[in-house]
Amino acid sequence: MNPSAEPSPETLATLVKILAGFNKTGTELKPETRFTEDLNFDSLVVMEFIAVVEDDFEISVPMNILPDVATVKDLALAVDKILKDDGR
Amino acid sequence: MADLFDRWAPLRAQRDALFGEGINPFNVVMDEVLSQTEAMIGGRCTILVGTNNYLGLTFQPEALKAAHDALDACGTGTTGSRMANGTYYGHKELEAALCDFFAKSHAMVFSTGFLANQGILSTLMGPEDFILMDADCHASIYDGVRGSSAQVIRFKHNDPADLDKRLSRLADKPGNKLIVVEGIYSMLGDKAPMAEFVAVKKKYENVYLLSDEAHSMGVCGRYGRGVPEEAGVEDDVDFIVGTFSKSVGTVGGFCVSNHPSFDTLRLVTRAYIFTASLPPSVVASATVNLKIIKNGGVLRKRIERNSEQLHSGLSALGLKIASDVSPVVAVVAPDPVTALAFWRGLIEAGVYVNLALPPATPFGYCLLRASICAAHTEEQLDRVIAIFAGVATKLGLIDTSAPKVAARA
Repeated sequence: MNPSAEPSPETLATLVKILAGFNKTGTELKPETRFTEDLNFDSLVVMEFIAVVEDDFEISVPMNILPDVATVKDLALAVDKILKDDGR
Repeated sequence: MADLFDRWAPLRAQRDALFGEGINPFNVVMDEVLSQTEAMIGGRCTILVGTNNYLGLTFQPEALKAAHDALDACGTGTTGSRMANGTYYGHKELEAALCDFFAKSHAMVFSTGFLANQGILSTLMGPEDFILMDADCHASIYDGVRGSSAQVIRFKHNDPADLDKRLSRLADKPGNKLIVVEGIYSMLGDKAPMAEFVAVKKKYENVYLLSDEAHSMGVCGRYGRGVPEEAGVEDDVDFIVGTFSKSVGTVGGFCVSNHPSFDTLRLVTRAYIFTASLPPSVVASATVNLKIIKNGGVLRKRIERNSEQLHSGLSALGLKIASDVSPVVAVVAPDPVTALAFWRGLIEAGVYVNLALPPATPFGYCLLRASICAAHTEEQLDRVIAIFAGVATKLGLIDTSAPKVAARA
């Protein structure tokens, strides 16, 4: 991910809203919140969470991008790119 | 500097704390194999209800003889890859036998089932393509798609509507799509709704379907060709991957297909090219057992009967079984500590099942995974059910004040 790029505030806000339902640790959800280290997500939770993200944004999030997604901001940037590639 | 293995320290600590000093379920040693259904474990004759030997063919006399003959004729190994010096006449005979068995025009034999999935799934689809896989697929499928240049999207387990939704989002994108499912899933024994998946596939253009029939080959369908045969949709399943290490009773993997250019995969599949081929004795026993399986209606009846006996016997005790009747009967335990105590109680009483813990299981289930063999006798399974009852009672998992239910209706 390009560290200087900023995701769209709408995408970020939607992700934070979805994440709230998966936030079992009570961690404050910020752009730099990390899925594995801060939220204790394991591969099964990631899968469920991504499925909700896909349905909410009506997009396909390929598994292939996940190794590059560590933080909420990373995912927001990835979602923005998918939306852009889809011409939305 | 951190040690190389430090990142697994939490897992080790968790397992050490769980297993303590007692027998480790993941380090069981069979000191002597007595038959398809019994072995000596820890000095005790133990009923094996945790193998994948569904048809009980590991000691099939004709296969034993063929293996011995091949060993004498061709030696202990090929010492080479299929592409170089590792293709003997036996490998070609086995591929012909697979074509005959599955009624498909092409077959490719790999050295294990894991390699068949890894090889096919990492190779088949290109950078413009998409793989849509069931979320509960086996590790070999996950490893395969990870090596693919295609985009990989998971859909909810056994959920054709969810697949449909995900395919519809890709409908406008160029590139081929491959749906990947399994006939029967190994952990819970649940079956794919194959006809429904085929119906979804047919709604869209350029969509292929691959099914891993590892646990259903030999078990489902009139001729043992698995869930696609049973569901009557074989022509719409474009690729079938499978293994010789379950019903076929030996080791090895394969993929069969009617695609006219299928043999191209021999030129480009690294797991086929860069590994040694199967030893001739293994190839010979697999070839013989395929014929036995094709005509194995009696064995399939026995599996059905045995599955029914174990499933209904354990259900009647009040234990929670993870799926409907199938050759895999997975009992759900409430937590890892109880699951381990259950497993140890069973092994100490002479019953071996598989212990399966998260993250290797769906829904975070802790499972006592029993699997059926056609060679299990009614008496053996009655004994298994009685031992489950004893251990479950001791652990307080079932209500002992309830009237005693016969093991079998």
